[in-house]
Amino acid sequence: MAAETIERTTPPDTRGPSSRLSAGTLGLGIASVVTVLAGTAVVQARYARAGGPLTPECNRHGLLHFVPTPPPGRGIKGAEGVCHIVGGLRSGSETAILVFAILVGAAAVAVGFGIFRRMDTKRRREQALAGAILGIQAVILGGVLLWFRSTATVFTFVRNFLNFTLLRPYMGVLFRGAKNTIFLAVVGEVGGIAIGLTLALFLLSARRVVRAPARVYVNFFRGTPLIWQLSFFYFLFILGFNLHFSAFSAALIVFSLNTGAYASEVFRAGIQSIERGQMEAARSLGFSYLQAMRYAIVPQAVRRVIPPLLNEFVILIKDTALITVLGLVASQYELYVASQTGYSDTANATFFVATAIGYLAITLPLIRAVNAVERKLRSGLVSVAGGP
Amino acid sequence: MNERSDGGEALVRLEDLHKWFGSNHVLRGIDLSLQRGDVQVVIGPSGSGKSTLLRCVNMLEVPTEGHVWFEGRDITDIRTDLNEVRTHIGIVFQAFNLFPHKTACQNVTVALEKVLKVDPKEARDRAMQELKHVGLDHKADAYPGQLSGGQQQRVAIARALAMRPKLMLFDEVTSALDPELVKEVLDVMQRLASEGMTMMVVTHEMGFAREVGTDLVFMEDGRILEQGDPRQVFGDPRHDRTRTFLSRVL
Repeated sequence: MAAETIERTTPPDTRGPSSRLSAGTLGLGIASVVTVLAGTAVVQARYARAGGPLTPECNRHGLLHFVPTPPPGRGIKGAEGVCHIVGGLRSGSETAILVFAILVGAAAVAVGFGIFRRMDTKRRREQALAGAILGIQAVILGGVLLWFRSTATVFTFVRNFLNFTLLRPYMGVLFRGAKNTIFLAVVGEVGGIAIGLTLALFLLSARRVVRAPARVYVNFFRGTPLIWQLSFFYFLFILGFNLHFSAFSAALIVFSLNTGAYASEVFRAGIQSIERGQMEAARSLGFSYLQAMRYAIVPQAVRRVIPPLLNEFVILIKDTALITVLGLVASQYELYVASQTGYSDTANATFFVATAIGYLAITLPLIRAVNAVERKLRSGLVSVAGGP
Repeated sequence: MNERSDGGEALVRLEDLHKWFGSNHVLRGIDLSLQRGDVQVVIGPSGSGKSTLLRCVNMLEVPTEGHVWFEGRDITDIRTDLNEVRTHIGIVFQAFNLFPHKTACQNVTVALEKVLKVDPKEARDRAMQELKHVGLDHKADAYPGQLSGGQQQRVAIARALAMRPKLMLFDEVTSALDPELVKEVLDVMQRLASEGMTMMVVTHEMGFAREVGTDLVFMEDGRILEQGDPRQVFGDPRHDRTRTFLSRVL
């Protein structure tokens, strides 16, 4: 280094010895979070499996055995399950777990923030910081659980939101609901892609007379609420046109029409993102405009629009819930309507919790797929348009 | 070189060509003709309208005024089937413009199959022959992204040649290449010229213009300032502007 030969006052080395606790801090942080989550889960699983009678405390809070026989039935369905959840939460082992996790988390915070500046590598500094941040999360989680289990509302909450026993007779309905949700979304998306690609070609036309109707269509379907479209077109089909459409088929058509409007803009943007030279090269080889689109432009654009189209699909999955306004017959219930039946039968919100889990089970893998495709596109593995 | 077997009928004739981009008057009355076997090289400062002129020949740019005659047909006539005309005119671009989702071989075959309706087997044979011609038969199954700039440009030349065009247009085909890759492309072009291909070349490669060109056109501000035998123009330009331009680039 040439700089060392220059005579000048070197600033004092303030760096001190590097701490060696980085990995340890990370370990503490991980341990604290895992203790809260896994520990609570294990306690809950043990209480759920061990079963046992209703505790006096549960009885005091109005949890009574359900007695089906002489009408009207007394007690609460699934009272034992509720009691076990609360029992687990209020048990001594849970107390031990939470206190331990909070202490470990606090230790991770103290050590991590104390030492991270004195780490000699980026990697170690990140480890120390991650440990401290995990510690904060464990302290917060543990604190909230400690507070929550001590409140009187815990019984009400668990009875209304976590009474999973009630779901049992409805599992068939809920699964069929999930199936119908997926069916509605898939058919709607496929129809939408077909409509969207055609519309996109119209939107890109150099002729205003071709563009204008497509633009009217797109603006109409993007500018009115989907719930309005469902009601309007359903009544249009059955009353206006005297067609014998079930609400389900009407919804399939409306979902396609609506998705088509959004997909057309996605395709239009995708096609416009292909370099102009591609069209020029194709036309120079004697391709007609449509041939150039088909063999040169669209195959490249399709790859670029996969992530936004998958996003549209995730949105459509959730929007299928709007079909509830049309009134369905039982076999056509999709996930949200199915859960509503359960709710109105039992007046218990556990069904909404179950529905959320159902939607997430469908959408999370898709969201992951979107991210994976986007990552792949960005890293150029698919190159601009699909390598070998 | 320079066989004029057609009894004087020009392959391409441009007649009083004007092009406006908005209010920008890019071509200001071009009259030019190209005989079969000619290698016409167009030079001039950037913005002088060279590329626009070249792109008017296959109607990628539609002239605002004037006529383009190809084989005695006015292809600026709205009734012309341009798709058919373009199968006879190959063009190679500065940016290669290969189809990135197709292999080198597929880049060559796609137009043969879909435009000329050649059957796939024969198209493949013809593609391999043209790739061999540009020295890339061993890269037939590579995607453009896996090829160097020079190799991509040679595939682009093969793609155009496979159509058996009567005229080849080259639009600054070496400008986007790393210096060490320029030669392999110029060599291919030089060989094409020696095989009697009619070519119109917009370029900044003055060596190529002098050695390979049979006709040199110097453009400035949308007009042709000087035209003639390359050696004569390079050796003793008639116009002051040509002299200044050449002294700057040589």
